[in-house]
Amino acid sequence: MRWENFRFALFEKAPEALLEHSMIVVITITLAILISVPLGVFLSRPKYKKFGLVTLNILNLLQAVPGIAVIALALPILGLGMKPAIVALLFQSLLPIVRNTIAGLLGVSSDVKEAASGMGMSQRRILWEVELPLAIPIILSGIRTATVYVVSIGTLASLIGAGGLGNLIMGGLSLFRPEYLLVGAGLGALMAIFLDRMINYLEYRITPPGMRVE
Amino acid sequence: MTLTDFVSFLVKNTKTIMEYSENHFTLVLLAVGISLLIWVPVGLLLTKSDKWAARVLALANTIFCIPSLSMFAILVTIPMFGLGRKSALLALVLYAMMPLIRSVYDGVKNVDRNVIEAARGMGMSTKRILVEILVPLGMPIIFAGFRITVVMTTGIAAIATYIGERNLGRFIQEGLVRSNTPMMVTGALIISIIAIGLDTILGVIEKRIVPKGLRVSR
Repeated sequence: MRWENFRFALFEKAPEALLEHSMIVVITITLAILISVPLGVFLSRPKYKKFGLVTLNILNLLQAVPGIAVIALALPILGLGMKPAIVALLFQSLLPIVRNTIAGLLGVSSDVKEAASGMGMSQRRILWEVELPLAIPIILSGIRTATVYVVSIGTLASLIGAGGLGNLIMGGLSLFRPEYLLVGAGLGALMAIFLDRMINYLEYRITPPGMRVE
Repeated sequence: MTLTDFVSFLVKNTKTIMEYSENHFTLVLLAVGISLLIWVPVGLLLTKSDKWAARVLALANTIFCIPSLSMFAILVTIPMFGLGRKSALLALVLYAMMPLIRSVYDGVKNVDRNVIEAARGMGMSTKRILVEILVPLGMPIIFAGFRITVVMTTGIAAIATYIGERNLGRFIQEGLVRSNTPMMVTGALIISIIAIGLDTILGVIEKRIVPKGLRVSR
């Protein structure tokens, strides 16, 4: 191990890689939330419940496919670069959010909903003002799972040219420079743990005090 | 990339595929076996102390967050482990910590208190309560954790090819390097099919294993 290599990896290479990685994560998670939360709301409506099971089963199957296989399958279909990587990651980050949205919305007790409709709220207002606020902690926990997952598989996205921290790790493995490995892997781990803690804290803050479970 | 490419690749490389699959399965089996031996007793122990349970679960959660490629890369830099099976095994066992401990802990903790009290009232010893009440009643949750562990380990084991394991991940690695699409797609498809297959089979067993009275319609 040499300090010079370490410094080079940390100050010359890491900032760009970290930026690319953050971009992949932020774009993927934003898209995933935009797709899955409405999908979850839609599937939890009583009218469309029968689609719910089918969709969940399909997403479950997709989830079982290992990340590296998804990345490898994305290359011949979508090509090289950041966009294909994001699409590949998107596929797998949908399930936790959709599942938790459905679980959260179905978990709202029917007494509360009845009380709301008894007060003369319309279905739409019940959804926005009663169901979603009560379900948000569970939805956030799904978003947390998805985020950690995207950070993790995001390191593999460098294989299809998306850049990110995986570049440092792969470079370190092929040149056999432990400094690169430590910087790339360490930053990846820190990023995942940091995001997990942050969303966890958000979850805790957003839960109404009466609903907190010890 | 057509179907014929795919089939001809399969036919030409049957021997290599068998060799890699064998390596893959032995690694997964070893990792899951060791994980079960270590983490199930730990999970059972943790049900005795809530304070330690919170600490260990937090640690397991943190480890679980670490990207798999990062985990392998960090272990490789530790002189004792280096490239090869030892690092791969340790990483897989560490990843299995979260699902296994959590499911054993949750499973045992979820057992109805009244049942335990009834057992104690009938004069069962703590050991018998554990073996005859807690574990069987907690089994559905424990098995769900086991299922997640197996499927996850199969997937992550493929990434261990980057630290020198010769397993199914190697098709993806070499296919990418040589831009040999049939090779890469074959590797990816074989791993996916194995993972989905395992998930489905274990899912069926999971449904069977639940005592009739405990079945919840989902």
